[in-house]
Amino acid sequence: MTQHDTIAGGDATSPPAIELIGITKRYGAVVACDDVHLAIRPGRIHGILGENGAGKSTLMKVLIGLVIPDAGEVRRHGTAIRINDPVAAAEHGIGMVHQHFSLVEPLTVWENVALGDVGRLDPRRVRARVGEISEQYGLEIDPDDRISDLPAGMRQRVEIIKCLRRDPEVLVFDEPTSVLSPAESEFLFNALRTVVERDGKAVALVSHRLGEVMAATDEITIMRDGRVVESLSTAEADARSLARAMVGREVSLRGDVIQTGSASDHVHRDRTAEVPVLRITDASARGRDGRVLLDRLSVDVHAGEIVGLAGVEGNGQRALGDVLSSLLALDSGRVEVESREIPTGRAGAMARAGVAIVPEDRHHSGCVLDFSVAENMFIADPERVARRGLMDRGEMARRAEALIDRFDISCAGPDAPMWSLSGGNQQRVVMARELSHDPRVLVAAQPTRGLDVGAIEYLSEQLRAAARGGVGILLISTELEEILDLSDRIVVIANGHIVGEMINADVDLERIGMLMTGAAAESGVPS
Amino acid sequence: MGDFFNALGDIATNESAYRNAIIAAVVLMLAASGELVAEKAGTINISLEGMILGGAFAAAIGQHAFGSVWVGLLFAMLAGIVVAWVQANMSHRLPADQFVVGLVLNVLVLGVVGFLASEIEPETNIVGRVRIPLLADIPLFGPALFDQPWVLYLVYPVVPFVWWLVYRTRWGLEVRAVGEDPNAADVSGLHVNKLRRQTIYLAGLTAGLAGGYFLFARAGQFEDSLVGGRGYIAIAAVIFGGWTMKGTVGGCILFGLVGSFVLTIPSLGYESVDPAFLAMAPNVVTILAMAFFATRVRQPSALARPFLRGLK
Ligand SMILES: Nc1ncnc2c1ncn2[C@@H]1O[C@H](COP(=O)(O)OP(=O)(O)OP(=O)(O)O)[C@@H](O)[C@H]1O
Ligand SMILES: [Mg+2]
Repeated sequence: MTQHDTIAGGDATSPPAIELIGITKRYGAVVACDDVHLAIRPGRIHGILGENGAGKSTLMKVLIGLVIPDAGEVRRHGTAIRINDPVAAAEHGIGMVHQHFSLVEPLTVWENVALGDVGRLDPRRVRARVGEISEQYGLEIDPDDRISDLPAGMRQRVEIIKCLRRDPEVLVFDEPTSVLSPAESEFLFNALRTVVERDGKAVALVSHRLGEVMAATDEITIMRDGRVVESLSTAEADARSLARAMVGREVSLRGDVIQTGSASDHVHRDRTAEVPVLRITDASARGRDGRVLLDRLSVDVHAGEIVGLAGVEGNGQRALGDVLSSLLALDSGRVEVESREIPTGRAGAMARAGVAIVPEDRHHSGCVLDFSVAENMFIADPERVARRGLMDRGEMARRAEALIDRFDISCAGPDAPMWSLSGGNQQRVVMARELSHDPRVLVAAQPTRGLDVGAIEYLSEQLRAAARGGVGILLISTELEEILDLSDRIVVIANGHIVGEMINADVDLERIGMLMTGAAAESGVPS
Repeated sequence: MGDFFNALGDIATNESAYRNAIIAAVVLMLAASGELVAEKAGTINISLEGMILGGAFAAAIGQHAFGSVWVGLLFAMLAGIVVAWVQANMSHRLPADQFVVGLVLNVLVLGVVGFLASEIEPETNIVGRVRIPLLADIPLFGPALFDQPWVLYLVYPVVPFVWWLVYRTRWGLEVRAVGEDPNAADVSGLHVNKLRRQTIYLAGLTAGLAGGYFLFARAGQFEDSLVGGRGYIAIAAVIFGGWTMKGTVGGCILFGLVGSFVLTIPSLGYESVDPAFLAMAPNVVTILAMAFFATRVRQPSALARPFLRGLK
């Protein structure tokens, strides 16, 4: 601890805790990292920005020993070290909080924290250590909770505790906030500040959210196509130029929308007289444990309309998505697509009725990681590339190429296995598949989670174009900016019930916020 | 059919039916306890059958050559581990499919053991019963559990010990993590494939022991048909038991009971019950039991999925 005190509150000139020198990593023809230099200093938070596939995760994996670089070296306090696996990284004082959670779901909090330690298993000591760390950094958690029962924000706390328990000098975060609500993110950054300022730890932070990088970091490195294109201190950075450096061209930012209150191009048409493409009436559903997931939820989506479903994570959004992907049956209520009632919970029924889904968790239900990019694109609807019941591989490859092109997916080709793609590019494959199906209704749950600014801009345009083409879009998002930017009409969900509705033109941010947190109930809505 | 139900009634009160049931259940329990650990770590260890058979043969050789049941049991465990070594290293070091390796191993062990047995013709015998005072006096179940060939009593320490390994030690925690989410385990610093190999060695050890036990407690003489699919039934018991030790033991007992009752019916003089029906009964019960219970349980998420770093 005393050693920490002397280096706490480091500055831009303090010697780096860890330094990457000339790191190069190739995957076949793809150069994921190309001669990258990076210095992470004690007492500082170092932000790493870049487009999807820029090589950020690869670089972080070099630090943690999950990727062995082809060239270059890692130096710790000036001496070269070898990091061949996560164990070695931990020995060198490097800990990582992963982009996709590294927790074993059926195990409890303390069991997960104990994983990777050595020596006799002493549950009492591990529990005590969890308590100690959570108190020290304000990361409250019950060590006996099962991971599968915890929401994303709590899981992240466990990840952080797991990382901190070894008292690492360097903490690596790969997109820690992509699954968090704004409040949870803020909580995370406060905890990080404590870690950095009090204990003099060094933090590397990968993120796509410019606002958050601007607010939380001390210095910033920007990567593009595996190279470092810019390194600067956060004080001299502004969001617009960061975005430009990342993408290499001008992009419009979501933040612009928030500032003006609402996007000007949402001309509201009164559609109450039209027949909606998707009508959900009084939908109620309970989970297996008897918990209420949906509570008499009703919502209409008309052709050509984007309806944004705003709400704090865990208020029934996932259940609604599950109903619309035929994974969950309703206890009561009905779902109609173009006035036809669709049975719920029957495999494939929604898809056949023309409901396309971009699921929230692409790793669980969005794609098959061991399949190729092309196979993932046609998995739901192989008839389109089949001839007399046989897959036509040539046709499949041709169509996949076209989609890869159209959605600007960076990968080795249609045959590249899905797992070799960067997180953001996997998301693009899922989007490409769903939008290429000519759906009647598109349900997009957190569609831009993990996408870079350029990709978000592009994807937003795709969604708007789909709406112009007559698709009814239900946009489920915990990011208010995204909802405001895209939706014609906004409905707010809380506790599985729609608690309020407004058109984008007369959005009242304060009221949405209150509705989301359940602080205000819409008059006339049964409680 | 009426006869059949009468027979059931008679059997349910027949001491030797229970005795035979336990003898049959214990071979399953020994094999299934190791198999459970292997499955917890993510391997469906089809070569369990071969491990038991190898164990039985090695036990026969051990007793034949050294005149000692203990040496026989030691040989049995070593033979199980030899089979396990091939299974483990083929499927969790080289990327060979675990099912293919398992099936091939079973055929291979059968061939090798059959050949050697006909060359050597080992001579062995059943070990004597040891009566545990007081406990053996419990009506109906007492003799089945506590008046048996002494090798049977090995199951009493082995099963709890394996349970303790899985649920109370660091190694067990790591095993469970590896079977549920090998990628998370890997980034947490565990050696996924090494742990999986270790669990297969453990399965080899207990399955080999099961083979030795069966030779000394029931068969007496080695034959290559001695195991007769019990390895597969042990695997079914693990699945039936929902990957818990309690459930697995329950499954072993159920399958043991059914098998024993079926054997006992003719000996009680109910000759009118169709033998074909009797032969089928254990399988029907197995399938019904699986259909009824197996849907409610969650298997280890990464069961039967090989692990390669980077495949995430
Ligand atoms: N195991 C692998 N095999 C083949 N190619 C890979 C592998 N891992 C990464 N790549 C490729 O390397 C490039 C960089 O990937 P990386 O995951 O580092 O990107 P990223 O900057 O983290 O992107 P994102 O923001 O989408 O997460 C991508 O083009 C990706 O397809
Ligand atoms: Mg990444």
